Amino acid sequence: MVSAESVTPDEQLVEETLFGNDRAFAELASRHKSRVFGIASRFARNPAELEDICQEVFVQAFFKLRQFRRDSPFEHWLMRITTCKCYDYLRKRRRDGAGVSVDAMLESGYEPSAPENPVSHPDLERLYAAMAQLSPKERLVITLLELEERSLQEISHLTGWSVANVKVRAFRARGALRKLMEKKP
Amino acid sequence: MNDPVPQPRDPLDALFALARERRPDTSAAEYAFETRLMARLRAPGKIESLWAKISWRMIPFFAACVLILAVWHAEVASDTHEAMQLAYAEDPDSVDLWNNLN
Repeated sequence: MVSAESVTPDEQLVEETLFGNDRAFAELASRHKSRVFGIASRFARNPAELEDICQEVFVQAFFKLRQFRRDSPFEHWLMRITTCKCYDYLRKRRRDGAGVSVDAMLESGYEPSAPENPVSHPDLERLYAAMAQLSPKERLVITLLELEERSLQEISHLTGWSVANVKVRAFRARGALRKLMEKKP
Repeated sequence: MNDPVPQPRDPLDALFALARERRPDTSAAEYAFETRLMARLRAPGKIESLWAKISWRMIPFFAACVLILAVWHAEVASDTHEAMQLAYAEDPDSVDLWNNLN
């Protein structure tokens, strides 16, 4: 039986990292990587992009660890960074390849968001391709709300937007997604 | 009391549910992630390269500052002599000092 003492709290690992113990940060990364990968995999198109996003998240967390206030769990703070990085990534991708139709994306061998995902369902592929056409804000909010099943309050906390703003964006995102999905090939 | 009539499920919601079920498997990508991450964090020149990048980006700003200072200094220098003459002339106590200085 594992005693409670054997598990070092996140806050202590944060302290140890700030005192220069890199292993403590490696332990933090090990603990929370699944959550970070889970969210990031909804946005990344391939394993390389997924790795990039996740590394950026933890690198930022490492260098900004002093800004972490202990008023909320470390995981919440890390999830905010993850959300910001995913949003930055979506904006960057938008700048690089906006204006491509769903069908064109599917025909060009577009990989749905899931890097190692057995997405063989054609409707799902169409959903992911349509989601890729949403604006970064719409994509972020619809992913967190519908795929990650986060509450409006949680999304508000993660994004820094007001709850009303999240509601409006989610509503618009659904409408836009519905329109994109209704366009039959 | 009658049971409420079940609403037909929104096809979009059905797709979302399907997408939730088929969660991406990231286990392969997660393998040895800490090792790669720590290697990146320990890589020499990480912080230096960041500062170097910031410094290079600040060059136009500093160049603009130097230009503004040069223009400002040239204008001030030309006005200073007249301004000092006027100021000392208005203050009788400083007239002698002004003469001594010149």
